[in-house]
Amino acid sequence: MTSFDFPPVALPEPARRLREEVRDFLAAERRRGTIMGRADSWFTGWDAGFSRRLAERGWIGMTLPKRYGGHERGALERYVVIEELLAAGAPVGAHWISDRQAGPSILRNGTERQKTRFLPEMAAGRCFFSIGMSEEHAGSDLASVRTRGERVPGGWRLTGTKKWTGGAHVNDYAIVLARTDEAAGDRHAGLSQFIVDLRAPGVRIEPIKLLSGEHTFNYFHLDGVELGEDALLGAEGDGWRQVTGELAWERSGPERFLSTLPLLVAAVRKLAGTTVTGEQQARIGRLVARLHALRQLSLGVAMALQAGQSPDVRAAVVKDLGTRFEGELVNEVRAILPAVPDPAATPGSYPELLAFALMHSPAYTLRGGTNEILRGIIARGGENRS
Amino acid sequence: MTSVFAELSTDDVVAAPADSAPGLWRAVAAALPAPEATTGELAAVARDAGYHATPGPVAETLLVARPVLTAAGLPVPDGPLSYATGDLRVSYAHPDPESRVGPFGAAGTDHTLRVSGTLHRVPWARMCSEIVVVGDAPFGPVAFLLDPGDATLRPGGNLAGEPRDTLALTDVEIPAHRVRATSRALSAETALRAALARAVLIAGAAQRCAELTIQHTATREQFGRPLRHFQAVKQEEAKLIEETALLRAAVDAAVTGLGTSRAEFTVAAAKAQASDSIAEITRIAHQLHGAIGFTELSSLRFVTTRLWSWRDEDGSEQHWSQRLGRQVLGTDADRLWPLVTATT
Repeated sequence: MTSFDFPPVALPEPARRLREEVRDFLAAERRRGTIMGRADSWFTGWDAGFSRRLAERGWIGMTLPKRYGGHERGALERYVVIEELLAAGAPVGAHWISDRQAGPSILRNGTERQKTRFLPEMAAGRCFFSIGMSEEHAGSDLASVRTRGERVPGGWRLTGTKKWTGGAHVNDYAIVLARTDEAAGDRHAGLSQFIVDLRAPGVRIEPIKLLSGEHTFNYFHLDGVELGEDALLGAEGDGWRQVTGELAWERSGPERFLSTLPLLVAAVRKLAGTTVTGEQQARIGRLVARLHALRQLSLGVAMALQAGQSPDVRAAVVKDLGTRFEGELVNEVRAILPAVPDPAATPGSYPELLAFALMHSPAYTLRGGTNEILRGIIARGGENRS
Repeated sequence: MTSVFAELSTDDVVAAPADSAPGLWRAVAAALPAPEATTGELAAVARDAGYHATPGPVAETLLVARPVLTAAGLPVPDGPLSYATGDLRVSYAHPDPESRVGPFGAAGTDHTLRVSGTLHRVPWARMCSEIVVVGDAPFGPVAFLLDPGDATLRPGGNLAGEPRDTLALTDVEIPAHRVRATSRALSAETALRAALARAVLIAGAAQRCAELTIQHTATREQFGRPLRHFQAVKQEEAKLIEETALLRAAVDAAVTGLGTSRAEFTVAAAKAQASDSIAEITRIAHQLHGAIGFTELSSLRFVTTRLWSWRDEDGSEQHWSQRLGRQVLGTDADRLWPLVTATT
């Protein structure tokens, strides 16, 4: 069977009320001028003040236990909050990785001391994390990481260079995947994760500018960085399982199909009230139909995750379809409402938003697992079901 | 769920839908769910009929005709049913000589009607015991039962050979007990139900299309290994599986949305998406099947020819996308996201 049987999608009543609260909050933030309505706001919208105000409302670390500063809310409530933020193009980049990945990872794998030290600060919007996984020779093939973690008296020493480390120049900590056992036979064995202070001696951050000139990515050099025993996250040698166990969360969320929605909203805003052709209506309707279907799929994965399943193949489906949609949306909007993309136009104006979304379009189908690799996972999943 | 259609929908049966549908209906009728079943249960059966390319008006009867008759307060006859809307001339059969003559003529002493006009491409009309017709009478929106024997039937078919018959009505009398005054809302609901029924069939057939393709690439060998071992094949096969899952998600949402305030949006989105996905799904399925899929040597044609027809029937992707677009553009930009999220 190739059928994906998702449970019926229904959000609980508290989630509906929460959506209205988030919309009110966003309306207030718009009046403050903090929301640009730009595409890709989770990737490049870094605004620590916005993150702190969001945290004050209890909307960072929502699913964490209260004793670690969290709010013990369900994954679907978190889903509602983040989809509202992304659809609005709100600047959620500062806390994004902490909230989505680092926090849950520390909760699952960390020591009591690590949890009490990092989680409350994350949930308060005061502590921001990066993820140091990829390297020069380890992109899609993550098991090829060469950064070394050596045992030294009293702790560990890390040596190597991470690449594409987003936000390493502005964030506080990074979770680093390193090889701690060169002799391990299986290439997936002998990997471990560490929490590294991005201001520690021996850490050197070197920018890699995007094709738009923006500074998001970095080389993250670890020149013999000395760490205490308590820097190890999870069990020594268990890094691969820890990293891959969380991929469904990372791949199926609303950031995998909503990254460019603010551009469509901007186009519709410009068209509303004007004479619109049937062709324009149909093209917009087609995007809306696809958006709606993608959201149903993504929510289905969220519900499966909440129910304790491991919907890895379904998550890959969401990511491949959703990120292709993000790029297709940009191209469709060009046809629906032609304009010269202009990065120098007034920030937030349609030509500027178009330029921004367009210049980011190569990333959509690359990050979080290159789509060609994901399609391999999906095709294998298809065989297993047949 | 064991399928009532699986065993009966052999290649010979599916290849000649017009000839095999009446016999097949007699075989499955008793196993079909009762009109009281939930939309979800009815849709599951209709999707299964789509999956097996089962000949006969299963989706038409279960998801459109029976519920529309019930909603209109008309009796639900046994037997296969279909539905039609069209530009008909409808007048009172028994004008009241006492009434004042208005723009629509005299009022009637009862709702017995005389109807003329053409109903185009009615699904399975030649085998149906009754057709539920939704239109306009002098007194407003109307639903009535038409015995196809009272019309002149011109046979027609779609790409898969499924009957799509044209019914010419010449001064056909419809007795009052087969007529009900209804509402604009019921006319709109009929169109939504028809689109949903078609989308549910598409979801079933699309799934079959994907499964046949996966079977083929797993067994067919070239250069000494199964096709599925080639990266290029995997990439396309994944896209096929994905697009099938996407349209299924849209259709499931519409099944849930029917009968709620979200029916209009979810059904429009489902039929728009289901129809839109077919180009990609059938392209990949045929490409990966190679020449065999293009011929009668493969069962693939049973689903792809139906998909190519069903995407246009009961509103194409263009039609439903435009309706969605009008909803989005009718107000202002800030309605777009609320429209999408109001579903759940």
